[in-house]
Amino acid sequence: MKYLMLIYGNQEKWNAIPAEEWPAAIAKQEAFNRKYQQTGELIGAYGLADQVNARLVRRQDGAPAVTDGPYLETKEYIASFYLLDCENAERAEQIAADMPWADQDPVEVWPVLHESPTNP
Amino acid sequence: MTADQDPGDLLRELAPQVLEALLRRFGHFDLCEDATQEALLAAALQWPRDGTPDNPRGWLITVAARRLMDAARSEQSRRRREDQVAVATPQSELLSPPADADPGQDRDDSLALLFGCCHPALSAPSQIALTLRAVGGLTTAQIAAAFLVPEATMAQRISRAKQAIKASGVPLAVPAGETERGDRLRAVLHVLYLIFNEGYTATHSDQLTRPDLSAEAIRLARWLHRLLPGDGEVAGLLALMLLTEARRPARTTPDGELVPLAEQQRSRWDRALIAEGVALITAALASSGQSSSGQSSSGQSAAGEAAWGHAVGPYQLQAAIAAVHDEAQDVDATDWPQILALYDLLDRVAPNPLSSLSRVVAVARVHGPAAGLDALGALESDRRMAGYHRLLATRAHLLGLAGQHGPAALAYREAARRATSRPERRYLSRMAAAQQAQQAG
Repeated sequence: MKYLMLIYGNQEKWNAIPAEEWPAAIAKQEAFNRKYQQTGELIGAYGLADQVNARLVRRQDGAPAVTDGPYLETKEYIASFYLLDCENAERAEQIAADMPWADQDPVEVWPVLHESPTNP
Repeated sequence: MTADQDPGDLLRELAPQVLEALLRRFGHFDLCEDATQEALLAAALQWPRDGTPDNPRGWLITVAARRLMDAARSEQSRRRREDQVAVATPQSELLSPPADADPGQDRDDSLALLFGCCHPALSAPSQIALTLRAVGGLTTAQIAAAFLVPEATMAQRISRAKQAIKASGVPLAVPAGETERGDRLRAVLHVLYLIFNEGYTATHSDQLTRPDLSAEAIRLARWLHRLLPGDGEVAGLLALMLLTEARRPARTTPDGELVPLAEQQRSRWDRALIAEGVALITAALASSGQSSSGQSSSGQSAAGEAAWGHAVGPYQLQAAIAAVHDEAQDVDATDWPQILALYDLLDRVAPNPLSSLSRVVAVARVHGPAAGLDALGALESDRRMAGYHRLLATRAHLLGLAGQHGPAALAYREAARRATSRPERRYLSRMAAAQQAQQAG
């Protein structure tokens, strides 16, 4: 069963972290990623840009019409996402709780309902 | 080896034999498994071009042994001792079991391999992946495609599984103790059952890229049944697979919509598979009856529990239930009292919330929807079942039967929200709409 894990945050919160703490924080996250890539349970981990870089795209008269995003105005937005393939929901919850900052901020876990058979 | 056999089928049939031959000589499951895969790949490339060799098994073992020695040499500093053993082994010794091998040796080697792949130190996804590769002879790319994960992810899973087996220090062997042997065999049956279900519930049958896991599970179950013809649960699992697979042509519409058992066009069921499954489960139940009570149970109904109630395991009971369904002309002609009796037995032999839920449907068929709803009430207090979409769907079904279409629609809608596969969600949403229409009309 596949699961999507989402981390939320905002720039204000990240700005509050001193610059010298970032390398250690990133190393922790990479250690987590490596650990679950090696068990064959983490398919991919992806970090997103700041929300000022998010765009909303519609099609008008066959051409893209682009406005600033994101779609939902929220205080916090998606910072990164992780795609897991693991035994069951309990295992996904176990992995989510192992995320380096799960003791401070919750990790959102969504079962993946459907995927295209053409996925690589 | 016949000329018209698909070389892919032949290779996959030979895969575990090659691996067993290597393991007998060299041990080291991880290295032998890699070498076997390399030999299979080499054969897949060369045989179509140069023709299938006269002794395909010997060819594969020779090539695999050579690969294994190459691998051993490249790790010489770490593995000097094994290397010397490998290089010193004459090729002829590899090609046939030692002269003093007892006749049961091949069977035990096959079982040891299967037990190893379903090692208790591994998670279910790892057991499945390793079984499909080492016993099923599928490549990592094929297994990855079957589960829709990248090949690199599947490769990691397989290599981690092999490391875990190595680290556990548990030898690849059939345990001597009957209890442990029974436990390990149960794990194997569970893995084959999971592989079958994965294939059966897959909604996309893109045959070109995704191997048919149900067919693979049936092939492996047949193989296990040949190894252990006297084991009732092995026969039961194979029968259950055949009796379930028989309904496949009728269980979805061409658009991929689910068709529930009650509404399936039974003329589309595969009669040959049903006949084979019924024959298997009948024979298994008859011999279980003889072994537990010492008297013949032939001619008795499948629900004649007094004769064999204690010896029969959960796969045989589930196969017996599937057989009763498959032999009925339609849903109303189904022998529901017999099905209920079998579910009662199953509840006693191997209590499990999913089969208890199916039992509730049989209770409603035999004693009416109100009795079904009562039985469901008892299940709802089970923490494992709280918010489970199939429990809600069963409640909705019973409410609909009881004429309470409004509450039925609500329960179907809630079940649809909680479903974890798209075909199920669509089916449940459709049922919600139908109940709503009945209430309005």
